[in-house]
Amino acid sequence: MHSNIIIIPMMVALLIPFYEAYRDDNVWQKLLAFSSIACKTALITLVASVLRDDWMIGVVGVLILSVGNAGLMLLAHIVKRVNEA
Amino acid sequence: MSNGSFYIDAIALLLPLSAAMVVTQANPYYSLITRGILGAVAALIYTLLGAADVALTEALVGTLLAIALYAVAVRSSLVMRLGVLQDEVPKNAATSTPDHAGEGTGNRTDDEAIAHPFNQLLTELRTLFNQYHLRVELVPYDNPQLLHQALLQKDIHATCVHASIAAAPYQLTTRVRRLYEILQAGLSPDLIQLNHVTVSDAAASHYQPSDIGSVLVGEEKS
Repeated sequence: MHSNIIIIPMMVALLIPFYEAYRDDNVWQKLLAFSSIACKTALITLVASVLRDDWMIGVVGVLILSVGNAGLMLLAHIVKRVNEA
Repeated sequence: MSNGSFYIDAIALLLPLSAAMVVTQANPYYSLITRGILGAVAALIYTLLGAADVALTEALVGTLLAIALYAVAVRSSLVMRLGVLQDEVPKNAATSTPDHAGEGTGNRTDDEAIAHPFNQLLTELRTLFNQYHLRVELVPYDNPQLLHQALLQKDIHATCVHASIAAAPYQLTTRVRRLYEILQAGLSPDLIQLNHVTVSDAAASHYQPSDIGSVLVGEEKS
């Protein structure tokens, strides 16, 4: 029951960048929405790992959080090069 | 079922939603970003269902590696390489994209560079090809022979040189039929003169400088 109280607001917050990614046509706004979703899904994973007391999920959450941000930086760099050329 | 099944069902609904967003995207860069969103949601669902190893693989390979590889592929394939002569191009032509044209610092050099006829043509070309998600990349060459040789060897898709006797200030020759059709539909004839050249594979691989006349048999003028 406690888990629902914490997770449901996080899911509602996850819907906001979804709407933004669907609606906005600017590539940087889409990238921001992607960054927001990547962070929020990783944090939901971490919260779920704490609630279930399952540290294997926690390790995966930390890895997804760090690797997702690294991938985002690669993608942002390529998009920036495209806009410059 | 555990007490977490309700929100897992709700989160699982996000997966077809983001997949539909990927499928309906027309712009390849937008669909890459949306593919990242799909990967993040998929990794979350796999984790909540207890498959931590699958989620880690999805995040590392499905999202990170696939997006990086596809971004490089899209960037290198969706490009029109336009061969030009070194001394016909203004020095800052490569950086004056339509995005930057409006937000220049307003000093004299920028105004002169934007008013240069080649930059106006380049702006028109970039606006036209943006509709097809193509970039225009300038490839400078030292002399007309090298430029023509590069076109025949398929190093570049089109050449753009000063027209000597025509009404239009520039003459653009392309070897790609589809580019010719797009340019013919999108640019006015008094801005540029269009030519289409048929380059055969044999001519591209066994090019000799004396073969120009025989290769250009298929040329047609607009």
